[in-house]
Amino acid sequence: MIDLKETLFLLSNADGVGDLKEASDLAYNLLSKYCECTKTDNLTVIGFMKGESDYTLMLDAHIDQVGFVVTSVDDKGFLTVKNIGGIDIRALPSRRVTVHGKEKITAVFSATPPHLAKGEVTYDDIESIKLDTAIGSKAKEIVSVGDYVTFANTPKELFNNRVCSRSFDNRAAVTCLIAVAEMLRGKKLPFNLAFVLSDGEELGLRGIRAATFKIDPNEAIAVDVSFGDGIGIDSEDCSPLGSGAMIGVAPTLDSKISKRLMNICESKNIPYTTEVMDGKTGTNADMISVNKEGVRTCTVSIPLRNMHSDAEIVDLSDLESVCQCLCEYILAGGVKDV
Amino acid sequence: MFDILERLCNLDSTSGDEISVREFIINEIKDYCDWKTDNLGNIIAFKKGKNKSAKKLMLDAHMDEVGLIITSVTADGFLKFKTVGGIDASALMFRSIKINDNINGVISGKPIHLISSDERKKPPKEDSLYIDIGAISKEDALKCVSLGSRAVLCGEYSENGEKIISKALDDRIGCAVLIKLIKEYDEYDFYASFSVQEEVGLRGAKVTAFAINPDSAIVLEGTTAADISGVSEENKVCKLGEGVAVSFMDTAAVYDKEYYDYALTSGIKCQPKAAVTGGNNSGVIHFNGEGVRTVALSLPCRYIHTSSSVADKDDCECLLSLAKYMLKGICSGKIS
Repeated sequence: MIDLKETLFLLSNADGVGDLKEASDLAYNLLSKYCECTKTDNLTVIGFMKGESDYTLMLDAHIDQVGFVVTSVDDKGFLTVKNIGGIDIRALPSRRVTVHGKEKITAVFSATPPHLAKGEVTYDDIESIKLDTAIGSKAKEIVSVGDYVTFANTPKELFNNRVCSRSFDNRAAVTCLIAVAEMLRGKKLPFNLAFVLSDGEELGLRGIRAATFKIDPNEAIAVDVSFGDGIGIDSEDCSPLGSGAMIGVAPTLDSKISKRLMNICESKNIPYTTEVMDGKTGTNADMISVNKEGVRTCTVSIPLRNMHSDAEIVDLSDLESVCQCLCEYILAGGVKDV
Repeated sequence: MFDILERLCNLDSTSGDEISVREFIINEIKDYCDWKTDNLGNIIAFKKGKNKSAKKLMLDAHMDEVGLIITSVTADGFLKFKTVGGIDASALMFRSIKINDNINGVISGKPIHLISSDERKKPPKEDSLYIDIGAISKEDALKCVSLGSRAVLCGEYSENGEKIISKALDDRIGCAVLIKLIKEYDEYDFYASFSVQEEVGLRGAKVTAFAINPDSAIVLEGTTAADISGVSEENKVCKLGEGVAVSFMDTAAVYDKEYYDYALTSGIKCQPKAAVTGGNNSGVIHFNGEGVRTVALSLPCRYIHTSSSVADKDDCECLLSLAKYMLKGICSGKIS
């Protein structure tokens, strides 16, 4: 297996907000070591492995990350931004980010000074939290409206094989897909495999539409992250870190795939939990399953803490479980004959 | 100076645990002055000048920074904490931290998806946050941290052109300037106090002032600059790039008027700290013994007490120049 930590760290350091291509380009280079790859729209990467039938299983992991876009630049070097994807703005004051202007610059979200924080500060909208470039009037020369802004954190190792950084949503899943491609390379496959690293998920499952339409799969698995455990989080809303692959069960998902994934995990001793959702899944699966005449779809997720912050935490053993689960499921023929 | 400032800012020294900054400073000054440490961990230094000083002068900078202290560990291996010194909960949420100088951690909370839209508009509550070091149980966590372990917010020193972005500029800038004065200034005798526990109630300087028993004091600090887009002119307190902030009054002290005027008319770039807010070691120093004539010279810092304070490099140079100018003015007897 590829070095999951090394690949995840590489991918999480690459930027993929808006039209920033770094993450997509890097993922393309990594994936194309193991299968033929194309880029559909500059950002979405599609890898293909030929199997022994016309049936196609699509594995998807979105390549984009949450971030911001600049909406104004003033003379004093302060910007206003809008978030791309859901971000808890209460955690922004004093946070460092990278502004992708004519050059990359570090900027800091302003914090309300203590003498002005009388009574309760409210966090109504992100535009009241100015982004300080600290370069004064020079900001106008470097930064333009429409430029993208990314979190600036870099990966750190915690105890017990757990790691922390930005963009693990969804580079953790991208890492898994690349690992799966490496594991299946040269193997006899029961059907065709399409690996999709799709763009624009955080803006409303956008990139996967065209990719699914183009690939027209018979079956699909959306690989993403989901809620890990933590204080104050109901156990029914999350799975503990280290508990393995989270296999989705939902009204919108194909129950036969869910069941087969679980059976495979049971028989191969791969750790997993069941993630029950009551309607849509909030993942690309929602879009994939209604492509053309409908696609049998399921989700496999990696438990993650602090989602959509720059301090997301995953347990590398969960990535490994997801890789094993997907490989065994594919080699066993998916639900092609079920 | 910026080389020393960078190294000082990147050290971790929460109040009551100032070891790394203390060792760094001792190493820097040991060949230039007489020094000792006291029972609380303060450094008191005496720099012999070419001339005897007209007044017994003490310069103070505090070594500690705001941080966290671990108070308990949950069965799942999460660490609960309290802040040491004032830190807003928004500056804590989802931040990288370092415990005992070497253990990586993260301040975790609920993800936005699981928070109601009402709750999202209210300030985060400190007690809803906890530290995650990747431990899988209480026993696992207690292998590497203990109750009372200190943590700091990660916020490495970096520069954006003429600006500095860093944690702990309050008050490593004071330490950097004072080190520089000990090394370079030799006209008049003076005492230096590198004090502990400022952020938890001006405690270290209380005893250094007692030990030195000065006539006059210069306190070197970092203070709030609110020159942020959207803040009205009268609430800005001081501005980056306009020089040293000189205090006339804050919540802890009323400053010596002559010293204040002498600083403002120095010709060195400086500005009044235009608000009666905050406080620093002047609060305890000026009350010492029979009273101490005190002036506070501060570096304007945006987002003070966070992982990313922003300050101006030229203001740092001005702080050094103005400290020298005041030192000379007081020690030569030029100020009455």
